[in-house]
Amino acid sequence: MIFMYLQKKITRLFLLCCISIAFLFSCKYNIKQDNKAETLTKDSLPAKEKINPYITNDKSPLDISYYPQEYPVLRMNGTDSGKLVCRVIYSRPQKNGRIIFGNADKSLCIYGKEWRLGANEATEIEFFKQVNINGNNINKGRYVIYCIPYPDKWTIVINSNLYTWGLHMDPAKDIFKTDVPVTQQFPALEDFTMVFKPASYGADLLMAWDNVKTVLPISFSK
Amino acid sequence: MKRILFVTLSLIVSYTAVFCQNKIPQPDKSPMDMSYYPDNFPLLKIQEKAKEPLIARVVYSRPQKNGRVIFGNLIEYGKLWRSGANEATEIEFFQPVKIKNYKIKKGRYTLYTIPDSSRWTIVLNKETDIWGSFKYDKQKDIMRIDVPVEKQTDAIESFSMFFEKSAIGFSLQITWDDVKVSLPISL
Repeated sequence: MIFMYLQKKITRLFLLCCISIAFLFSCKYNIKQDNKAETLTKDSLPAKEKINPYITNDKSPLDISYYPQEYPVLRMNGTDSGKLVCRVIYSRPQKNGRIIFGNADKSLCIYGKEWRLGANEATEIEFFKQVNINGNNINKGRYVIYCIPYPDKWTIVINSNLYTWGLHMDPAKDIFKTDVPVTQQFPALEDFTMVFKPASYGADLLMAWDNVKTVLPISFSK
Repeated sequence: MKRILFVTLSLIVSYTAVFCQNKIPQPDKSPMDMSYYPDNFPLLKIQEKAKEPLIARVVYSRPQKNGRVIFGNLIEYGKLWRSGANEATEIEFFQPVKIKNYKIKKGRYTLYTIPDSSRWTIVLNKETDIWGSFKYDKQKDIMRIDVPVEKQTDAIESFSMFFEKSAIGFSLQITWDDVKVSLPISL
Protein backbone atom coordinates (compact mmCIF):
# COMPACT_ATOMS: atom_id res chain seq x y z
CA MET A 1 0.00 0.00 0.00
CA ILE A 2 2.63 2.49 1.17
CA PHE A 3 4.83 1.56 -1.73
CA MET A 4 2.06 2.31 -4.24
CA TYR A 5 1.33 5.63 -2.55
CA LEU A 6 5.00 6.57 -2.71
CA GLN A 7 5.17 5.54 -6.34
CA LYS A 8 2.24 7.80 -7.15
CA LYS A 9 3.88 10.70 -5.31
CA ILE A 10 7.18 10.19 -7.09
CA THR A 11 5.48 9.99 -10.48
CA ARG A 12 3.66 13.24 -9.80
CA LEU A 13 6.85 14.94 -8.68
CA PHE A 14 8.63 13.67 -11.77
CA LEU A 15 5.88 14.97 -14.04
CA LEU A 16 6.02 18.37 -12.35
CA CYS A 17 9.78 18.53 -12.76
CA CYS A 18 9.53 17.60 -16.43
CA ILE A 19 6.91 20.24 -17.10
CA SER A 20 8.99 22.91 -15.35
CA ILE A 21 12.06 21.91 -17.37
CA ALA A 22 10.02 22.15 -20.57
CA PHE A 23 8.85 25.62 -19.53
CA LEU A 24 12.40 26.66 -18.75
CA PHE A 25 13.45 25.56 -22.21
CA SER A 26 10.69 27.49 -23.87
CA CYS A 27 11.45 30.62 -21.83
CA LYS A 28 15.11 30.42 -22.72
CA TYR A 29 14.11 30.21 -26.35
CA ASN A 30 11.90 33.27 -26.08
CA ILE A 31 14.59 35.32 -24.41
CA LYS A 32 16.96 34.43 -27.21
CA GLN A 33 14.46 35.67 -29.74
CA ASP A 34 14.04 38.98 -27.90
CA ASN A 35 17.78 39.54 -27.76
CA LYS A 36 18.01 38.97 -31.47
CA ALA A 37 15.29 41.52 -32.12
CA GLU A 38 17.00 43.96 -29.77
CA THR A 39 20.26 43.96 -31.68
CA LEU A 40 18.44 44.43 -34.95
CA THR A 41 16.33 47.36 -33.87
CA LYS A 42 18.39 49.79 -31.88
CA ASP A 43 15.71 52.44 -31.90
CA SER A 44 12.79 50.22 -30.92
CA LEU A 45 11.68 50.25 -27.33
CA PRO A 46 8.57 48.84 -25.63
CA ALA A 47 5.27 50.21 -26.85
CA LYS A 48 3.35 52.70 -24.73
CA GLU A 49 -0.27 53.68 -25.24
CA LYS A 50 -0.48 57.43 -25.74
CA ILE A 51 -2.84 59.55 -27.71
CA ASN A 52 -1.36 60.88 -30.90
CA PRO A 53 -3.05 64.01 -32.29
CA TYR A 54 -2.30 62.98 -35.89
CA ILE A 55 -2.80 59.23 -36.11
CA THR A 56 -3.53 57.02 -33.14
CA ASN A 57 -1.63 53.77 -32.73
CA ASP A 58 -3.58 50.86 -34.17
CA LYS A 59 -5.00 48.35 -31.72
CA SER A 60 -4.21 45.72 -34.34
CA PRO A 61 -0.80 46.80 -35.55
CA LEU A 62 0.29 46.31 -39.12
CA ASP A 63 3.07 43.84 -39.89
CA ILE A 64 4.90 42.55 -42.92
CA SER A 65 6.25 39.07 -43.74
CA TYR A 66 8.57 38.20 -46.58
CA TYR A 67 9.73 35.16 -48.51
CA PRO A 68 12.67 34.58 -48.37
CA GLN A 69 12.06 34.97 -44.62
CA GLU A 70 13.47 38.18 -43.13
CA TYR A 71 14.45 39.25 -46.65
CA PRO A 72 15.20 42.91 -45.68
CA VAL A 73 17.54 41.71 -42.89
CA LEU A 74 19.28 39.31 -45.29
CA ARG A 75 19.72 42.20 -47.71
CA MET A 76 21.18 44.35 -44.98
CA ASN A 77 23.61 41.60 -43.98
CA GLY A 78 24.45 40.85 -47.61
CA THR A 79 23.51 37.20 -47.05
CA ASP A 80 20.49 37.01 -49.36
CA SER A 81 20.98 34.16 -51.76
CA GLY A 82 17.79 34.41 -53.73
CA LYS A 83 15.44 37.02 -55.04
CA LEU A 84 12.37 38.37 -53.30
CA VAL A 85 9.41 36.05 -54.04
CA CYS A 86 6.50 37.40 -52.03
CA ARG A 87 5.42 39.54 -49.14
CA VAL A 88 2.25 39.98 -47.16
CA ILE A 89 1.09 43.15 -45.35
CA TYR A 90 -1.54 42.45 -42.72
CA SER A 91 -2.83 43.68 -39.38
CA ARG A 92 -2.50 41.64 -36.19
CA PRO A 93 -5.59 41.59 -33.98
CA GLN A 94 -5.33 39.93 -30.55
CA LYS A 95 -7.49 37.18 -29.08
CA ASN A 96 -8.07 39.11 -25.83
CA GLY A 97 -10.02 36.23 -24.31
CA ARG A 98 -12.58 36.19 -27.12
CA ILE A 99 -13.91 33.22 -29.09
CA ILE A 100 -12.32 33.71 -32.50
CA PHE A 101 -13.62 31.05 -34.91
CA GLY A 102 -17.13 29.67 -34.59
CA ASN A 103 -20.73 29.97 -35.64
CA ALA A 104 -22.04 31.46 -32.44
CA ASP A 105 -23.05 35.11 -32.55
CA LYS A 106 -20.26 35.76 -30.09
CA SER A 107 -17.39 34.55 -32.25
CA LEU A 108 -15.35 37.08 -34.12
CA CYS A 109 -14.85 35.17 -37.39
CA ILE A 110 -18.03 33.35 -38.35
CA TYR A 111 -17.92 30.04 -40.24
CA GLY A 112 -18.89 30.53 -43.88
CA LYS A 113 -18.39 34.31 -43.81
CA GLU A 114 -15.54 36.20 -45.48
CA TRP A 115 -12.77 37.33 -43.17
CA ARG A 116 -10.07 39.86 -44.14
CA LEU A 117 -7.29 37.74 -42.57
CA GLY A 118 -6.41 40.39 -40.05
CA ALA A 119 -7.94 43.76 -39.23
CA ASN A 120 -8.32 47.24 -40.72
CA GLU A 121 -7.39 47.23 -44.42
CA ALA A 122 -7.86 44.06 -46.47
CA THR A 123 -4.69 41.97 -46.31
CA GLU A 124 -2.35 42.52 -49.24
CA ILE A 125 -0.17 39.84 -50.80
CA GLU A 126 2.37 40.58 -53.51
CA PHE A 127 4.14 38.06 -55.73
CA PHE A 128 7.34 39.30 -57.32
CA LYS A 129 7.32 36.42 -59.80
CA GLN A 130 4.71 33.99 -61.13
CA VAL A 131 3.73 31.36 -58.57
CA ASN A 132 1.48 28.33 -58.56
CA ILE A 133 -1.06 27.55 -55.86
CA ASN A 134 -2.73 24.12 -55.91
CA GLY A 135 -2.28 23.81 -59.68
CA ASN A 136 -3.25 27.38 -60.61
CA ASN A 137 -0.80 29.94 -61.92
CA ILE A 138 -0.96 33.31 -60.20
CA ASN A 139 0.71 36.11 -62.17
CA LYS A 140 3.31 38.38 -60.68
CA GLY A 141 1.52 41.26 -58.99
CA ARG A 142 -0.30 42.57 -55.97
CA TYR A 143 -3.56 41.10 -54.68
CA VAL A 144 -5.95 41.09 -51.76
CA ILE A 145 -6.01 37.80 -49.87
CA TYR A 146 -8.95 36.81 -47.66
CA CYS A 147 -10.49 33.63 -46.35
CA ILE A 148 -13.81 31.97 -45.60
CA PRO A 149 -13.25 29.93 -42.44
CA TYR A 150 -15.02 26.62 -41.69
CA PRO A 151 -14.42 24.20 -38.81
CA ASP A 152 -12.29 21.82 -40.89
CA LYS A 153 -11.08 23.94 -43.83
CA TRP A 154 -10.53 27.51 -44.95
CA THR A 155 -11.33 28.73 -48.43
CA ILE A 156 -8.47 31.05 -49.37
CA VAL A 157 -9.39 33.69 -51.94
CA ILE A 158 -7.07 35.81 -54.09
CA ASN A 159 -8.87 38.97 -55.21
CA SER A 160 -7.95 42.05 -57.27
CA ASN A 161 -9.89 44.73 -55.36
CA LEU A 162 -6.85 46.39 -53.81
CA TYR A 163 -6.54 49.25 -51.28
CA THR A 164 -9.85 48.62 -49.57
CA TRP A 165 -10.89 48.45 -45.96
CA GLY A 166 -11.46 44.79 -45.12
CA LEU A 167 -15.18 44.84 -44.40
CA HIS A 168 -16.42 44.68 -47.99
CA MET A 169 -14.98 41.94 -50.14
CA ASP A 170 -16.06 42.15 -53.76
CA PRO A 171 -16.55 38.54 -54.97
CA ALA A 172 -16.85 39.82 -58.57
CA LYS A 173 -13.13 40.55 -58.35
CA ASP A 174 -12.13 37.12 -57.04
CA ILE A 175 -9.33 35.66 -59.12
CA PHE A 176 -8.74 32.32 -57.51
CA LYS A 177 -10.13 30.17 -54.67
CA THR A 178 -8.68 27.12 -52.99
CA ASP A 179 -9.43 25.09 -49.87
CA VAL A 180 -6.81 24.31 -47.26
CA PRO A 181 -7.31 22.05 -44.23
CA VAL A 182 -7.44 23.40 -40.68
CA THR A 183 -5.04 21.97 -38.12
CA GLN A 184 -4.93 22.55 -34.39
CA GLN A 185 -2.58 25.18 -33.04
CA PHE A 186 -1.25 24.51 -29.58
CA PRO A 187 -0.72 26.55 -27.46
CA ALA A 188 -3.36 29.07 -28.61
CA LEU A 189 -1.87 32.12 -30.34
CA GLU A 190 -2.73 35.54 -28.93
CA ASP A 191 -1.77 37.54 -32.04
CA PHE A 192 -2.98 36.68 -35.51
CA THR A 193 0.10 35.65 -37.48
CA MET A 194 0.96 35.25 -41.17
CA VAL A 195 4.44 34.05 -41.99
CA PHE A 196 6.19 32.29 -44.88
CA LYS A 197 8.13 29.07 -44.30
CA PRO A 198 10.39 27.33 -46.78
CA ALA A 199 8.98 24.17 -48.44
CA SER A 200 10.36 21.67 -50.96
CA TYR A 201 8.14 23.14 -53.71
CA GLY A 202 8.69 26.77 -52.71
CA ALA A 203 7.10 28.22 -49.60
CA ASP A 204 4.16 27.80 -47.29
CA LEU A 205 2.12 30.74 -46.10
CA LEU A 206 1.24 29.86 -42.52
CA MET A 207 -1.84 31.57 -41.09
CA ALA A 208 -2.52 31.03 -37.42
CA TRP A 209 -4.66 32.47 -34.67
CA ASP A 210 -6.12 31.13 -31.44
CA ASN A 211 -6.01 27.33 -31.76
CA VAL A 212 -6.38 27.23 -35.54
CA LYS A 213 -3.65 26.98 -38.14
CA THR A 214 -3.78 26.71 -41.93
CA VAL A 215 -1.06 26.51 -44.53
CA LEU A 216 -1.27 27.74 -48.13
CA PRO A 217 1.30 25.97 -50.33
CA ILE A 218 3.00 28.26 -52.87
CA SER A 219 5.12 26.70 -55.62
CA PHE A 220 7.61 28.58 -57.74
CA SER A 221 10.76 27.93 -59.74
CA LYS A 222 13.88 28.48 -57.68
CA MET B 1 6.06 3.25 -14.25
CA LYS B 2 8.15 2.73 -17.40
CA ARG B 3 5.16 3.53 -19.50
CA ILE B 4 4.49 6.74 -17.64
CA LEU B 5 8.16 7.66 -17.99
CA PHE B 6 8.04 7.04 -21.71
CA VAL B 7 4.85 9.04 -22.19
CA THR B 8 6.18 12.00 -20.17
CA LEU B 9 9.51 12.01 -21.95
CA SER B 10 7.90 11.94 -25.37
CA LEU B 11 5.53 14.69 -24.26
CA ILE B 12 8.46 16.87 -23.21
CA VAL B 13 10.31 16.22 -26.44
CA SER B 14 7.32 17.11 -28.59
CA TYR B 15 6.50 20.12 -26.41
CA THR B 16 9.98 21.59 -26.67
CA ALA B 17 10.12 20.69 -30.35
CA VAL B 18 6.91 22.61 -30.95
CA PHE B 19 8.32 25.60 -29.11
CA CYS B 20 11.62 25.56 -30.91
CA GLN B 21 10.13 25.14 -34.36
CA ASN B 22 7.36 27.64 -33.91
CA LYS B 23 9.34 30.71 -34.82
CA ILE B 24 6.16 32.71 -34.87
CA PRO B 25 7.01 36.39 -34.94
CA GLN B 26 6.04 38.41 -31.88
CA PRO B 27 4.30 41.76 -32.42
CA ASP B 28 6.85 44.48 -33.16
CA LYS B 29 7.84 46.92 -30.45
CA SER B 30 7.63 49.63 -33.09
CA PRO B 31 4.45 48.63 -34.89
CA MET B 32 4.06 49.20 -38.60
CA ASP B 33 1.44 51.54 -40.02
CA MET B 34 0.23 52.81 -43.40
CA SER B 35 -0.95 56.25 -44.49
CA TYR B 36 -2.57 57.12 -47.80
CA TYR B 37 -3.26 60.10 -50.01
CA PRO B 38 -6.17 60.68 -50.24
CA ASP B 39 -6.24 60.26 -46.45
CA ASN B 40 -8.12 57.10 -45.37
CA PHE B 41 -8.45 55.95 -48.99
CA PRO B 42 -9.41 52.30 -48.23
CA LEU B 43 -12.33 53.42 -46.03
CA LEU B 44 -13.48 55.99 -48.57
CA LYS B 45 -13.25 53.35 -51.31
CA ILE B 46 -15.60 50.87 -49.65
CA GLN B 47 -18.04 53.70 -48.84
CA GLU B 48 -17.78 54.87 -52.47
CA LYS B 49 -16.80 58.32 -51.22
CA ALA B 50 -13.34 58.54 -52.80
CA LYS B 51 -13.29 61.68 -54.97
CA GLU B 52 -9.74 61.20 -56.21
CA PRO B 53 -7.84 58.06 -57.18
CA LEU B 54 -5.20 56.64 -54.84
CA ILE B 55 -2.02 58.68 -55.34
CA ALA B 56 0.41 57.78 -52.58
CA ARG B 57 0.98 55.39 -49.70
CA VAL B 58 3.64 55.22 -47.04
CA VAL B 59 4.46 52.05 -45.04
CA TYR B 60 6.56 52.75 -41.96
CA SER B 61 7.22 51.61 -38.40
CA ARG B 62 6.37 53.71 -35.37
CA PRO B 63 8.98 53.84 -32.61
CA GLN B 64 8.02 55.66 -29.39
CA LYS B 65 9.73 58.52 -27.61
CA ASN B 66 9.63 56.82 -24.19
CA GLY B 67 11.08 59.83 -22.41
CA ARG B 68 14.12 60.03 -24.63
CA VAL B 69 15.42 63.09 -26.48
CA ILE B 70 15.02 62.00 -30.09
CA PHE B 71 16.70 64.33 -32.57
CA GLY B 72 20.33 65.20 -32.02
CA ASN B 73 20.48 62.34 -29.52
CA LEU B 74 18.83 59.00 -30.37
CA ILE B 75 18.79 60.02 -34.04
CA GLU B 76 22.09 61.78 -34.67
CA TYR B 77 22.12 64.94 -36.73
CA GLY B 78 23.58 64.58 -40.19
CA LYS B 79 23.20 60.80 -40.24
CA LEU B 80 20.99 58.85 -42.65
CA TRP B 81 17.91 57.46 -40.88
CA ARG B 82 15.43 54.78 -41.99
CA SER B 83 12.58 57.18 -41.08
CA GLY B 84 11.06 54.86 -38.51
CA ALA B 85 12.23 51.49 -37.24
CA ASN B 86 12.82 47.96 -38.56
CA GLU B 87 12.46 47.92 -42.36
CA ALA B 88 13.31 51.22 -44.05
CA THR B 89 10.21 53.30 -44.81
CA GLU B 90 8.55 52.60 -48.15
CA ILE B 91 6.72 55.24 -50.15
CA GLU B 92 4.70 54.33 -53.23
CA PHE B 93 3.29 56.62 -55.89
CA PHE B 94 0.44 55.23 -57.95
CA GLN B 95 0.88 57.92 -60.59
CA PRO B 96 3.79 60.25 -61.51
CA VAL B 97 4.27 63.15 -59.08
CA LYS B 98 6.53 66.18 -58.76
CA ILE B 99 8.57 67.04 -55.68
CA LYS B 100 10.12 70.49 -56.19
CA ASN B 101 12.10 70.04 -59.44
CA TYR B 102 12.13 66.28 -59.38
CA LYS B 103 9.77 64.28 -61.57
CA ILE B 104 9.07 61.06 -59.70
CA LYS B 105 7.81 58.07 -61.68
CA LYS B 106 5.03 55.81 -60.47
CA GLY B 107 6.54 53.09 -58.26
CA ARG B 108 7.92 52.03 -54.91
CA TYR B 109 10.82 53.82 -53.24
CA THR B 110 12.63 53.83 -49.92
CA LEU B 111 12.30 57.10 -48.04
CA TYR B 112 15.37 57.95 -46.00
CA THR B 113 15.85 61.16 -44.06
CA ILE B 114 18.89 63.00 -42.74
CA PRO B 115 17.63 65.02 -39.77
CA ASP B 116 19.45 68.17 -38.67
CA SER B 117 18.67 70.95 -36.21
CA SER B 118 17.11 73.41 -38.68
CA ARG B 119 16.49 71.32 -41.82
CA TRP B 120 16.10 67.72 -42.92
CA THR B 121 17.27 66.17 -46.15
CA ILE B 122 14.66 63.87 -47.65
CA VAL B 123 16.07 61.09 -49.83
CA LEU B 124 14.18 58.84 -52.24
CA ASN B 125 16.10 55.70 -53.19
CA LYS B 126 15.30 52.90 -55.64
CA GLU B 127 16.47 50.06 -53.36
CA THR B 128 13.33 48.72 -51.64
CA ASP B 129 12.51 45.92 -49.16
CA ILE B 130 15.57 46.58 -47.03
CA TRP B 131 16.19 46.72 -43.29
CA GLY B 132 17.43 49.94 -41.71
CA SER B 133 19.83 52.32 -43.43
CA PHE B 134 22.92 50.15 -43.06
CA LYS B 135 23.16 49.08 -46.70
CA TYR B 136 22.33 52.47 -48.20
CA ASP B 137 23.60 52.94 -51.74
CA LYS B 138 23.83 56.59 -52.80
CA GLN B 139 24.04 55.52 -56.46
CA LYS B 140 20.38 54.46 -56.20
CA ASP B 141 19.13 57.86 -55.03
CA ILE B 142 16.56 59.47 -57.29
CA MET B 143 15.93 62.57 -55.19
CA ARG B 144 17.52 64.60 -52.41
CA ILE B 145 15.87 67.77 -51.17
CA ASP B 146 16.06 69.89 -48.02
CA VAL B 147 13.01 70.89 -46.03
CA PRO B 148 12.89 73.22 -42.99
CA VAL B 149 12.21 71.98 -39.45
CA GLU B 150 9.13 73.26 -37.64
CA LYS B 151 9.25 73.08 -33.85
CA GLN B 152 6.12 71.95 -31.98
CA THR B 153 5.21 72.69 -28.40
CA ASP B 154 3.59 69.32 -27.65
CA ALA B 155 5.97 66.37 -28.03
CA ILE B 156 4.66 63.51 -30.18
CA GLU B 157 5.09 60.11 -28.52
CA SER B 158 4.82 57.84 -31.59
CA PHE B 159 6.67 58.66 -34.78
CA SER B 160 3.98 59.65 -37.33
CA MET B 161 3.78 60.07 -41.09
CA PHE B 162 0.66 61.18 -42.91
CA PHE B 163 -0.46 63.04 -46.01
CA GLU B 164 -2.27 66.36 -46.05
CA LYS B 165 -4.00 68.23 -48.87
CA SER B 166 -2.22 71.44 -49.87
CA ALA B 167 -2.56 74.33 -52.35
CA ILE B 168 -0.11 72.70 -54.79
CA GLY B 169 -1.35 69.14 -54.30
CA PHE B 170 -0.50 67.47 -51.04
CA SER B 171 2.32 67.04 -48.58
CA LEU B 172 3.86 64.26 -46.55
CA GLN B 173 4.03 65.31 -42.90
CA ILE B 174 6.72 63.67 -40.80
CA THR B 175 6.64 64.26 -37.06
CA TRP B 176 8.16 62.93 -33.84
CA ASP B 177 9.01 64.47 -30.49
CA ASP B 178 9.02 68.29 -30.91
CA VAL B 179 9.95 68.24 -34.59
CA LYS B 180 7.84 68.32 -37.73
CA VAL B 181 8.83 68.49 -41.38
CA SER B 182 6.71 68.66 -44.49
CA LEU B 183 7.54 67.32 -47.97
CA PRO B 184 5.58 69.19 -50.68
CA ILE B 185 4.24 66.99 -53.50
CA SER B 186 2.38 68.12 -56.61
CA LEU B 187 0.76 66.26 -59.47
